[in-house]
Amino acid sequence: MPEIDCNEKDTRDINRQIKALVADGEAEIVVRNPAARHNIAVGLIQPCRVLIDGSVGYYCVGLSDGPDVEIKGSAGWGLAENLMSGQVVLHGNAGNSAGATMHGGLVAVHGHAGARAGIAMKGGTLIIGGNAGYMTGFMMQKGSMIICGDAGEALGDSIYDGRIFVGGEVASFGNDAVIEDMTKDDETFLRETLENSGVKAPNSGFKKVVSGKQLYNFDKKDFARWRHAL
Amino acid sequence: MCGIVGYLRKAKATDERSIGAVMLDMLHALSTRGPDSTGIALYGSPADNELRVWVKLGDDNPHPGIEQAVLERVGALTSIHDAVREGECLRLAVRPVDAANLEREILQAAPAAEVFSIGTRLELMKQVGRPDALDRQFHIAELSGTHSIGHTRLSTESRVDISHSQPFWTHGVTDLAVVHNGHITNYHKLRHRFEHRGYRFYTENDSEIIGPYLQEQMKTGSTLQEAMERSTRELDGTFCYLVASAEGLGFAKDFFCAKPLVMVETDDYVALATEEIAIRRAFPDAPPPREPGANAMQFWSLGE
Repeated sequence: MPEIDCNEKDTRDINRQIKALVADGEAEIVVRNPAARHNIAVGLIQPCRVLIDGSVGYYCVGLSDGPDVEIKGSAGWGLAENLMSGQVVLHGNAGNSAGATMHGGLVAVHGHAGARAGIAMKGGTLIIGGNAGYMTGFMMQKGSMIICGDAGEALGDSIYDGRIFVGGEVASFGNDAVIEDMTKDDETFLRETLENSGVKAPNSGFKKVVSGKQLYNFDKKDFARWRHAL
Repeated sequence: MCGIVGYLRKAKATDERSIGAVMLDMLHALSTRGPDSTGIALYGSPADNELRVWVKLGDDNPHPGIEQAVLERVGALTSIHDAVREGECLRLAVRPVDAANLEREILQAAPAAEVFSIGTRLELMKQVGRPDALDRQFHIAELSGTHSIGHTRLSTESRVDISHSQPFWTHGVTDLAVVHNGHITNYHKLRHRFEHRGYRFYTENDSEIIGPYLQEQMKTGSTLQEAMERSTRELDGTFCYLVASAEGLGFAKDFFCAKPLVMVETDDYVALATEEIAIRRAFPDAPPPREPGANAMQFWSLGE
């Protein structure tokens, strides 16, 4: 199994080496000593498996389509930003904006997530094993989020669409974020997704949060609501 | 974009590195976030009956007569145990006197000078440039102590010089220092209000408002921690700052949670940094850090 040691290498060299090994058809690549550096394993657009042996900085696996990446540490801001497809598993905690604008695939954070996880999500599934921070799911547009622990203030603020499952307490709901009853499909999705992910989760008690769809069209009568939302 | 770091070594820690060396490692890692200037506030062991004073005598090679005037005036007020010149700065160790009076006397002797810090334990050193420049001038790696906060600056709203660098000491409160990453957008309003109440500001840097804000809260009976707590609601903008006193150090974060900070606490130490890269540099085996949330505030006291 080929290994890349990040020590003494600049970020561009690390990413070029990962891509060169992927192009050579290597089944799995190990990245050692990432030392919380930024922009590791970005722009991966071929199917590949990358194991990162430590913490990473900002935008790890950003702008990628199809990779399978496992990170044995924590991550800074913007983990798997704009992921199109594939899977990113983080064993530690994530900084702000994990899974921001993701379109597809799976991002599984075993630890806690900072503020604004899943901001402007457009698809895919984001799992947070621990607690989620302030304004999680802000302006979410599509996809599914599963928060196994508690959610911070303003959960799902200005959510357009998609669904957020929360296993713990919600500090407060954002504008136009409302609770909806779970369907059979939701229950099945939740159970299967959590089982497959290996993330520790409560067995029951999940709430489902969706858009109340009251902010879709502006109406002068609703001015008070808009003033609050903006 | 700036970098801030904090480090507190707990009493039972076995780490043999100096506090200065640990701080320097963390600052090096964050120098890409702030290449303009670097500084630290470091809390050394208290000496009996001594105040430590750092004075910037002036910019660009101040005249030797200024140093002489300061020494004479301070010498008339109290006894000077030690006086060392480091570039533009003069470090004095003196027999304790009223700190406000001491600062006033220094400024009367040298009107262009600026008192960077007065404390029983605080040593405040800052310089333009990267951490290497700071270490060359002040030999940071050799400094020992209990805790420290540091800053690497990328200037966004005021000029790059030694005075506008961080940390900022809170004039009038011995040992209280602040480093800040972000923008305090109600700075002008607060500064105007505080100037009316007699506060003097030495720079155009919005970060300088945090110390006087905390001081103002403490004057009306709040503890430092209560003042920090309130600041998360009353300071406006996107910010994250660290505070240190002779008793310990802590952090406070804005309502929007828009500025990064990660923290690690073990049995041996507390480490705070804008990015994990700084913690990994100084503590490669540190457990995964956590990112505190919106309005978060925490303070660690020595000996806890």
